[in-house]
Amino acid sequence: MNARRSPAARRRTILGLAFCAPAILGLVFFTLYPITASFYYSFTRYSVMKPPVWVGPANYSNLLQDNLFWKALWNTLYFAALAVPLGIVTALGLALLLNLKIRGQALYRTFFYVPSIVPLVAGSVLWVWLFNPQNGAINAILRPILAFLHLGEPPGWFADPLWAKPAIVLWSLWGVGGSVVIFLAALQDVPRELREAAEVDGAGVLHRLRHITLPFISPQILFVFIMGLIGAFQFFTPAYVMTRGTGGPVDSTLFYSLYLFNVAFADFKMGYACALAWVLFLLILGFTLLLFKSSARHVYHAG
Amino acid sequence: MVLSRVCRTILGGVGVCLLLAVAVVGCSSGRKRADSGKPLVRVWHVWGGTMAEGFRKVCDAFRADHPDVDLRTVFAANDLATNQKFFTAVAAHRPPEVVFVDGPQVASWAEWGALEPLTDLCREAGIGEADYFLPCWRQNVYKGEVWALTFCADPNFGFVWNREAFRKAGLDPDRPPTTTDELDRYARALTVVKDGELVQIGLIPWAQYGEANSMFTWGWAFGGRFYDPETDRITADDPAVVRALEWMVSYAKQYDATKIAGLQQGFGAAEQNPFITGKVAMMCLHIGGVADLARYAPNLDYGIGYIPSPPDGEKHSSWVGGWCMAIPRGVRDRKAAWKFIRWLCATPEGTALVGEATGLFPGFKASPFFAKVRGRKRYGQFLRILEECRHQRPVMPVQARYMRELTRAVGAAVYGRATPAEALAHAREVTQRELNAIRRGE
Repeated sequence: MNARRSPAARRRTILGLAFCAPAILGLVFFTLYPITASFYYSFTRYSVMKPPVWVGPANYSNLLQDNLFWKALWNTLYFAALAVPLGIVTALGLALLLNLKIRGQALYRTFFYVPSIVPLVAGSVLWVWLFNPQNGAINAILRPILAFLHLGEPPGWFADPLWAKPAIVLWSLWGVGGSVVIFLAALQDVPRELREAAEVDGAGVLHRLRHITLPFISPQILFVFIMGLIGAFQFFTPAYVMTRGTGGPVDSTLFYSLYLFNVAFADFKMGYACALAWVLFLLILGFTLLLFKSSARHVYHAG
Repeated sequence: MVLSRVCRTILGGVGVCLLLAVAVVGCSSGRKRADSGKPLVRVWHVWGGTMAEGFRKVCDAFRADHPDVDLRTVFAANDLATNQKFFTAVAAHRPPEVVFVDGPQVASWAEWGALEPLTDLCREAGIGEADYFLPCWRQNVYKGEVWALTFCADPNFGFVWNREAFRKAGLDPDRPPTTTDELDRYARALTVVKDGELVQIGLIPWAQYGEANSMFTWGWAFGGRFYDPETDRITADDPAVVRALEWMVSYAKQYDATKIAGLQQGFGAAEQNPFITGKVAMMCLHIGGVADLARYAPNLDYGIGYIPSPPDGEKHSSWVGGWCMAIPRGVRDRKAAWKFIRWLCATPEGTALVGEATGLFPGFKASPFFAKVRGRKRYGQFLRILEECRHQRPVMPVQARYMRELTRAVGAAVYGRATPAEALAHAREVTQRELNAIRRGE
């Protein structure tokens, strides 16, 4: 093949590669190498300061007996199972509302997007205050309502192991602005004539939503779902900030990434941490493939 | 031909970038000597906030005293959870010449190979056990080597009470509780509930600078022990420690753990300190807190004494914490680094200055600073505590893990997820397993 190529074609190839070189080198050194290295380290005992020692699959088999691993996995699945669907429903609802042609539309859109650009740490600190069981704004609103309905005291949120995870799920909804933008863009592509035809035929709002709007934006829903799931599995910053890295109270917010971080950077068990990371990667991969497979039946690709 | 010229330009550009990168990396690190030709001592310290000023004063004095050393300080926080920067530097063979290490971490860092032993330097300088408060010295000796010297010996803790709150509750502000029974009674009197919400609490036993430090504090006060160096056994569920946790949990039962946690979430640092805002009437105070209280609440009327203990416990119980200074592994010029450490941690003039500038106590017994503070009202009490102090946190290489497990155990017991005995047995088991793994060379 090469022998038959003209010198010009070869030069073009070289030139093309040269243009790609910065990106390729970056990928090789800063992505491919760390990934490969972490795979190797996951079969070693490695404290960073001393050279790694090969231990075979011991790190992986130890995982199975590690209570905290299971606890962290459970917390993460709990969070993902609640936060991802809730996030999609909220984002979709907001997008539909923000799509209404009303005065000040641009203002509302900005308003709902702003939280997404607040730095995570600042946002976390803010929510700790809002969720403060005694003086927080949320309970200040809830308390009279619950008292009126004779439903007792408002929850302790981050002060209560039972309510800490739901509180974080609620917190996560504050950042749906990004998904709202994606849905808004998708909504612009829903053919107007279809909706109008359906309306003429007597289809109500819900019918139009279900049979026209949702199918047309289903690829975007799938995208947000998958990205949301990956984000949920890697959820870290708010849990770290709100609990100062402890995952408290009583490990109720010890998410997978937080545990991984503690193993790696407090105990300096890098080998074990790498094994944790690979298990996380496989979990995310598995769930994503599952979603892709099952989506074939639900996702409508126009055109 | 144009193409190949473009091609060459780009390849050349990439090459220049690489060369530049190599040059920058090569120049920015590994220099032993500064431009001045004097030996360079780079110090990674942990003193931010109000302490930063004091530490700068100490460093300036050292510079004036040692014009032959080029001292450079860098703020690089490290604690049980954030020390990545330092370890990365050691692993990359580019450590600073001097690093601050939290006392209970010395053994771990030594075990991990992050530090150089100071044993020979101490011997040459004639520095030994007798020069330091015993728990301070013990904290820095691991596997027969000295790994660090104590920069500050924190007598943990002084027991403080809000005299105004005592008067309001009808208690005698000059008679602080000395036994845990008295403490319980006072705490009840000092707790104020309004509309079902706690607005003031007498004491939160597990909120003495974190759950783990609280467990150490009360565990020792109850006469317990956490580690047996003879047998290398973790003893978290020592009967007296279990009794201490049971006593702590009694507060959770009486006042509701979630309610207390709710109150705690309103706590802050500095002027929002719960002792200043009047939300907590009695607590254990770290020595650094004296300066904070003077700064943020100069009119706060409070007393300071010893930690109460049960009759069969340890009277005047306390333990030392505090920061130590060490030389990281891979430092080539240990002599210059040692000069700095020795001056700050083991000379009369250096330790006196550290005391004056930071308000913290040196670990060096002969420091003239102690003569000055003995007569002072609050620092004098801290000095008495330090002189009677018997404990340091266990000197073994899984200290961070042990503290996390104790935190976990206290949390589980306080929230009723496990009995104190179960929770502590679990902490013992997990920590011992980690310790055994290290002893087996894993």
